[in-house]
Amino acid sequence: MRSRAAGILLTLLCLPGAAAAGGLAVRSGTDPETGLHWWRWQSADVSVHLAQRLPDQTRAFLLARGFDRASADRVAAACVLQLEIRNHGAGVVEADLRRWRSIGPDGARPLLLRERWEAEWRAAGLPRAQRIAFRWALFPSRVRYGPGDYNWGMIVLGRPPGAHVDLALRLAVDGRPLAPVIPDVECAPDVERLR
Amino acid sequence: MYRALTRAIAPILCLLPVAALAAGPALTRGLTPVEPRVTAPDFELADLDGRRLRLSDLRGKAVILNFWATWCPPCRKEMPSMERAWRELRARGEPIVLVAVNVGEDADTIFGFTARMDLSFPILLDERSEVADRYRQLTGIGTMALPTTFVIDPQGRVAYRAVGGREWDDPALLDPVRALLKGAGGAPAARPAAAAGG
Repeated sequence: MRSRAAGILLTLLCLPGAAAAGGLAVRSGTDPETGLHWWRWQSADVSVHLAQRLPDQTRAFLLARGFDRASADRVAAACVLQLEIRNHGAGVVEADLRRWRSIGPDGARPLLLRERWEAEWRAAGLPRAQRIAFRWALFPSRVRYGPGDYNWGMIVLGRPPGAHVDLALRLAVDGRPLAPVIPDVECAPDVERLR
Repeated sequence: MYRALTRAIAPILCLLPVAALAAGPALTRGLTPVEPRVTAPDFELADLDGRRLRLSDLRGKAVILNFWATWCPPCRKEMPSMERAWRELRARGEPIVLVAVNVGEDADTIFGFTARMDLSFPILLDERSEVADRYRQLTGIGTMALPTTFVIDPQGRVAYRAVGGREWDDPALLDPVRALLKGAGGAPAARPAAAAGG
């Protein structure tokens, strides 16, 4: 009886690890230098790494590229995260960010992607140079990676600073769909408003 | 029986995730073949000194065509290896040209970056992103991120692409490019670039 209980306990203790090996691992941590949080989901074939960006970082990036203050504030206050997707395997990895959702207390929301911002900036009369810089800085709405491919870019959740959400991803490896969820992703607080 | 099985499997279950996570990001070395090869969209752009370069003038050589921006961390990270590769290719007199097309930035911004890096390969300005927008159609899904690099064969066709930074002086990358000069790689017939978009 005791040995059976010990066996069950050992198996339970190892379950998270086994899940990781099967492609269900989410790790999170804090950058010791910046204090910003990160989250990482990894399977044998693909990894997704998210890192907080302070609203001030985004403001500075956009202001340096000629954005007016109101437009820069508009983006900075909408929860910008740094995203990296990497193909570790031998197959083709696809990610369709049009189907990603941030899930908060008010339900699921799509990301604010390149195409949406482009329409907004055009309507607002933002100069072409700024629109080009912003478009390339955002992660593409769809990617297809061969072996060894990876990339970085910003994603915008459209949530207020400090919000906590689960991020539901949609990926595929050689056409096989994957739908991991990264729980409790936190939008960085807006330190400018805390001053 | 149950106890024996548990004892045998449990350590393996425990070690599997450790091994998987300890492996970390693999060294990125790959080039993805573009099949069938498509004619590379021609363009003419100016470099930082105002000299104009036309892609089609490089026919007969292999071309490593890189799209980048100064604000892009993987772009900055791969630049030293591109410089090493460029110097090696020039020293050996190999007919391989490395060209970096900056997307969306002006000459002053780029110069502030390249002056610190001591880069000697051609850097072209695509301030309006028009050339990059034509090449993003070659990704098959109509989107592209920076950096993305296309390898063009001596016939002017896109043979490979690589998304994300690479160590460009790695023989694992340069050898397939060299093979294009020998007509190796089983080049299929080209089709117009306009038909390549997804």
